[in-house]
Amino acid sequence: MRRSLILVGVAVLAFPTAALAADGGTGGWIAPFAVIAAGIGMAIAAGLCGLGQGRAVASAVDAMARQPGAAARIQTAMIIGLALIESLAIYTLVIALILLFVKGINFA
Amino acid sequence: MEAIEHPPIFRLPGIPDHVTYTWLAMVILAVMTFVASRNLQLVPRGLQNFLEVVLEQFQSMIDDVMGHEGRRYLPLIATLGLFILTGNLMGLVPGLAGPTGNLNTTAACALVVFLAYHWIGARKQGVLAYLKHFAGPVPLPLKPLMFVIEVISHLARPLSLTLRLFGNMVGGHILLAVIFLLMGLDGLIGWALSGSVVGAVVGGIGGLVTIVFTVGFLYPLKILVAFLQAFIFVMLTMLYISGAIEEADHHPSTTSRSHV
Repeated sequence: MRRSLILVGVAVLAFPTAALAADGGTGGWIAPFAVIAAGIGMAIAAGLCGLGQGRAVASAVDAMARQPGAAARIQTAMIIGLALIESLAIYTLVIALILLFVKGINFA
Repeated sequence: MEAIEHPPIFRLPGIPDHVTYTWLAMVILAVMTFVASRNLQLVPRGLQNFLEVVLEQFQSMIDDVMGHEGRRYLPLIATLGLFILTGNLMGLVPGLAGPTGNLNTTAACALVVFLAYHWIGARKQGVLAYLKHFAGPVPLPLKPLMFVIEVISHLARPLSLTLRLFGNMVGGHILLAVIFLLMGLDGLIGWALSGSVVGAVVGGIGGLVTIVFTVGFLYPLKILVAFLQAFIFVMLTMLYISGAIEEADHHPSTTSRSHV
């Protein structure tokens, strides 16, 4: 299991370099890694953001079920909290967009 | 982002798209309010009724969060909210560009909020008292540290306001653009029309499924997100202003919370 993971990792790391070495392009070897990093980073950020928001919503729904009278205020607080949690994932999205679309960065 | 998003149909040469469509949003809002308020009646009907309901919503939100003294800031808050909502919804109309899908527009809104709440706080409490407010309810040796941390957290507020709105809008636009790319004439529908039997079956069914998915799920979700992000921007603006105008000595427990 571990050996196959290492093999996959080596393959992932070696493949873009090999492809670009054959290409001899001027783009630098780090551009393919930027695409990989954008994907993996966004996946991690989305997953952990989902865990955090799930905890927040679970507590809020619990509180609303116990105190239906305070549901509106709890909902407002929950939405604000969700926005604050979500903005952390949005930061990762912005970094991913910078990695994917901004051409001016000279990575190499 | 122009790599995958189609540019808007109407473009003014030499002027960036988000500026053009910011002007369009301004024209829409100005014409709407002018038409509604040109002939005010005691018993409102039609557009006047609609806009009064919208403004009453803003007022009740302000009353909930800031109390009655917050009604002084209704023009700032409601203008920001209506502009951001219009911009978000314009981003969903095919052929138009959403001004809030550009970092410059959202940064402008966030900077207005940043400058406004500091100005309001300094006017309300005096500059020195307002600066003391930054040091927080901690013992004297810790105050310089607290001051630096609070300044950094205040500087992070416009950044997070900017990036939250921008990221939500652009993320949604990219999602829609990718779905449309998969669905359109280069994708499933094009495959269905290509003439081969497999393409007609798979592409036809797949194209139908993506159309139903887009119309039935993605667009309502995007409309919800447009309203939600405008609501969150306005709500955070109100929290920042009420945090700036509250006296530091009266509520020592609430000054330490920071909404970034």
